[in-house]
Amino acid sequence: MHGLLNWILWLPIIGMVVLLCLPKGKDQAVRVTALVTTLLTFLLTLVLYMNFDTTIPGMQEQFSIKYQWIKFFNIHYSLGVDGISLPMIILTGLLFFICILSSWTITKYVKAYFALLLMLESSVFGVFMALDFFLFYVYWEVMLLPMFFLIGIWGGENREYAAIKFFLYTFFGSIVMLVGIIALYYATGKGVDSFNILALQGGHFVENTISVFGSTFSFERIFFWAMFLGFAIKVPSFPFHTWLPHAHVQAPTAVSVILAGVLLKMGTYGFLRIAFPIFPSAAVEYSTVIAILGVVSVLYGAFCAMAQADVKKLVAYSSVSHMGFVMLGLASMTTAGMNGAVLQMFNHGTSTAMMFLMIGVLYERSHHRWIVRPDGTKGYGGLYAHMPKYTTIFIIGMFASLGLPGLSGFISEALIFLGIFKKFTTITVIAVLGLLIGAAYLLWMFKRMFFGEAVEEVKSYTDMNAREIFYMIPLCVAVIVFGIYPSPLLNMMKESVGSLVSLLGSFQ
Amino acid sequence: MDYTVSTIAPIFLFPFFAFVINAFLGRKLPKDGNWVSLIGILLSFVFSLRVFFDFMGKYDTNFYVHKVFNWFDLSVGDSVFKIDLGIYLDNMAVVMLLMVTGVASLIHIFSIWYMSGDRRHGRFFVFLSLFTSAMIGLVLANNLLLLFIFWEIMGFCSYSLIGIYYEKDKAGDASLKAFMTTRVGDVLFLLGILAIWAVIGSVDYVDIYKAIAEGTFESVTVMGIGMTTFAAFTIFCGNIGKSAQFPLQVWLPDAMMGPTPGSALIHAATMVAAGCYLSLRMYPLMEAGGLTPFIAFIGAITAFGAATIALVQKDLKAVLAYSTISQLGYMVLGIGVGSYNAAFMHVITHAIFKACLFMSAGSIIHSVHEQMMPKLGGLSKKLPITFLCMVACTLAISGVPFFTGFVSKDRILGDAIYWGMMAGQNKAFAIVPILGFLGAILTPFYMTRMMCLIFLGKPRDQHVYDHCHQEHFSLTQHLPLVILSIFTLGVFFSGALIGEWVPVFGAKQEWFKVLIEAPNVNNFVDTIKSSFGFSDSVTSSMSVTKATYTHQLGYFGPNPDEHGVHQAHFIGAILSIFLAIGSIIASYLVYVRGITDPNKWANTFAPVYRTLVNKYYFDDFYLGVVIQKGLLGFNKFLSWFDMGVYDRIFIDGWAKVNFFFVRLAGWFDDKVIDSLVDLNGIIVKIFNVIFRKLQTGRIQWYLVVMFFSLVFINYYFLL
Repeated sequence: MHGLLNWILWLPIIGMVVLLCLPKGKDQAVRVTALVTTLLTFLLTLVLYMNFDTTIPGMQEQFSIKYQWIKFFNIHYSLGVDGISLPMIILTGLLFFICILSSWTITKYVKAYFALLLMLESSVFGVFMALDFFLFYVYWEVMLLPMFFLIGIWGGENREYAAIKFFLYTFFGSIVMLVGIIALYYATGKGVDSFNILALQGGHFVENTISVFGSTFSFERIFFWAMFLGFAIKVPSFPFHTWLPHAHVQAPTAVSVILAGVLLKMGTYGFLRIAFPIFPSAAVEYSTVIAILGVVSVLYGAFCAMAQADVKKLVAYSSVSHMGFVMLGLASMTTAGMNGAVLQMFNHGTSTAMMFLMIGVLYERSHHRWIVRPDGTKGYGGLYAHMPKYTTIFIIGMFASLGLPGLSGFISEALIFLGIFKKFTTITVIAVLGLLIGAAYLLWMFKRMFFGEAVEEVKSYTDMNAREIFYMIPLCVAVIVFGIYPSPLLNMMKESVGSLVSLLGSFQ
Repeated sequence: MDYTVSTIAPIFLFPFFAFVINAFLGRKLPKDGNWVSLIGILLSFVFSLRVFFDFMGKYDTNFYVHKVFNWFDLSVGDSVFKIDLGIYLDNMAVVMLLMVTGVASLIHIFSIWYMSGDRRHGRFFVFLSLFTSAMIGLVLANNLLLLFIFWEIMGFCSYSLIGIYYEKDKAGDASLKAFMTTRVGDVLFLLGILAIWAVIGSVDYVDIYKAIAEGTFESVTVMGIGMTTFAAFTIFCGNIGKSAQFPLQVWLPDAMMGPTPGSALIHAATMVAAGCYLSLRMYPLMEAGGLTPFIAFIGAITAFGAATIALVQKDLKAVLAYSTISQLGYMVLGIGVGSYNAAFMHVITHAIFKACLFMSAGSIIHSVHEQMMPKLGGLSKKLPITFLCMVACTLAISGVPFFTGFVSKDRILGDAIYWGMMAGQNKAFAIVPILGFLGAILTPFYMTRMMCLIFLGKPRDQHVYDHCHQEHFSLTQHLPLVILSIFTLGVFFSGALIGEWVPVFGAKQEWFKVLIEAPNVNNFVDTIKSSFGFSDSVTSSMSVTKATYTHQLGYFGPNPDEHGVHQAHFIGAILSIFLAIGSIIASYLVYVRGITDPNKWANTFAPVYRTLVNKYYFDDFYLGVVIQKGLLGFNKFLSWFDMGVYDRIFIDGWAKVNFFFVRLAGWFDDKVIDSLVDLNGIIVKIFNVIFRKLQTGRIQWYLVVMFFSLVFINYYFLL
């Protein structure tokens, strides 16, 4: 088991190299290579799950890997997995496998496309596994490059603007984070553990101060916000969310799925792994601010979603709203709220991936995404009658997304609310309005697209084919099973989350 | 009898498995698997019958069964957090269970006839089974969270069945409206659950009762409101939404877009009554929160208002829909005035006669393919069985003696008289019984009007009349109607009407009155929770009064004035007998004998008539003002602000400012860059090469900008 994380991390890169070595014109071979690679990677993540010990709170020693990388700066190649990262790793493995399948119809620069997707997969794994801060940062940045090209080359009409915007926005955040990393390096006296995330955790910087232009500030407060900014842009939390609608609308389906399903979670994962445990007292101190940003995201995203005429933009804004719930759970700093937040990260990953995939399926048939065209006519209509299989799966995804009990979204949202009510009552009362608006924009969209008489072109659409149904099945199963029986996921995360909660609790 | 997984779970699981089987295999099974659904619910009915007779054998007001199992557990070390689910069966739950499974079985049978040949036959039975299992789950639930889960699943089934004819735009609108309107109440209900959880860490009924008895909520406030009031209000909002009470009544009439048997089950008998079931469950909380007058007023306004709208409806299903809202209003009114027993009895009796009325309506619609009453008339000759069943139900809903409606509704009204006029409370409370009685005058009138227009007089549209076939007794079509109309006789619920000599349940004629009582919270101070397993046989938990519950805000007080109550009931009963019979005769004279022309009245009171036809303009207000102008306007503004102002001006503008500085810095630090950030330069060059191959144009310029901004930011922060 010792090299398992290495295998998961590097297998996509191996696949990428193999794929790049394939002769020109063998598009099908490229696709199959990518598919096999991601399938094997996903199976390895399941092996990881099976060997995972759910009773251990911290990092699982049997998987940990640590080599020296840059000796002068005490930088290590250090990987590990715990209950917070494992759900994300499994989700990543699953979604990339599905995305390769959903990208089967890509014909533009096939080789480059799949190579970049595999590179992206590896870097995402890197972010979720890295225990060295520098390594984390490297993966965090490396991840931007394939994303940049995937949006900038395979995207829609306005792809360059969206790609640049995505890049610069997140890049700005990570630069600020880099400042924090370097500051930590100096604050720990450039010692052996200067970049060791685990060693930095636990609130060692409560007493430290920093002087800027002659005035003294609390080190922890300043750099909590530096980290916060980097992660909040990624989440994206209001007011740093405007890159997301652009990126989603322009990105090809698979990239949207990865972006919403996995990449957004890197932001909240950053809170859980870095910002909160390294600066716990600042996190506790500013939890109200986080909660307010969360609730504003919930409502702002929901209200904006309702006004959208482009269905993909609607779902993009709904992501802002749903990630706001995660922020609320994080701000609660209670067992229920935090577990709910991590669970919501996973559940939003599956349900929103379903939504984007379904929109992609439709887009391949219609080549537009208008619920209502700019001239006021219906973009779709009557899909229910003409695509029954499509509708059934769409309903499952949609109701999971709006938090219908019995499907996955409900449990995580309920846990978040149970966790937060006592601490931020007023904010909770406002936030539940998000559940109402959340149902409103999704069902209203559904009504306009699926009910009524079909517009002429809808009648020519074919229903989902076997490949499309095949890759939706795992997500449907996940959404239903974890909606009824969430224990496998919760047992995985509860010890790790519990230790973080008790750490934060000791600073309250 | 043991209350274990093997005896209780099947009640829920049989319909649920029927749903699963039909959802996956329905289309491949013969007859779309409708027999699977039927078998599921019949088996479920048998199991609940067993439970019912066990409870009847105990014949104990305080007997209940409460068992739990763990759903998931997040406890780590000292911090305990786990969610337990389970079953809670008391007399009320058991009676409700029998009603749900019984009525659902009959509706399943009827649906097999009604839906045969329908293009959504298979889909209908899938959702019918899911709905039934959810409703059963709701009744069995031992806590508010589990109740909420089933509550929402029922909402989803309702949504799906209303929109089942999805090629109609109207069906889409109606289903959206139904789901969203009830969701308003549901979201508030969820807040109530959260509030209770925040205080006592559990939402089990027994724990809530216990907390009320021990006064745990007393010193707690939520947002400046007393905890009990907050929780009671929010939970009651769930009731308002689900039971289509004022001001959220707008969705139920539109919900009639769905197939009629679905309306019978969901929008008449069970789901809408589940809202009242919730308020009855939480009755001690409503009382402790001082919410009962509010509840009474909501109920009275709904009962009267919906009855007035029903007077002018032309669609026979619309009449039934408004009469459902009105009758639900009576239940809520009953809860408000402390008439716990009668309110619950009305839930049961209403379910029976309204399910029968809806199925009769279905029978008519299926026979004549017309549901607008001005085109019907004289059908009693062609549809004699349906006619007789419907007459029984009309008498029941009108409150004619010897029928169930009399037993339940008149006790509610009697209690309302006492509560509003004789208990020495606020004088304004008298409005509640007055509205209640005005509604009681209108109910027989509009029901008789409907009956006369459909069945009596001369056929108004000969073509429609000729189209209708002569009805012969058929098992699937008429058996459910006949069985239900037998149960509209009051004798099954109260022996007092016919004396002690009819041997119903041995000497237990008054079983309903004896068994159903508002939960006495003091009994729950020592609660025992045993596990819900396969073999466990520890059953009941009846405890002795320990703490003293001092909060008695309900009208009954510690010792209600027995004499006054009796007197009020007497007045109420006499009054409503005369009102009901008088109203039926008046309606008959108007609509059959034609002593006066209703259209003339409509013209004379044109503004009133228009207001009623437009349902008091609630739909126009909600859709036109609240949603179109308010919500959507705000959304459009916010979306424009987000992309047009915030993103374009602030974010992009800020980027432009940066680009300016980048260029400035780039020009200034030209030489230093080369030496320091060589590595970055190489990386960027590599990507430049890749890019040049793939893409030409502005992107390179962006990369250069990016590169410089990186450098700039590095310098700005690090030096």
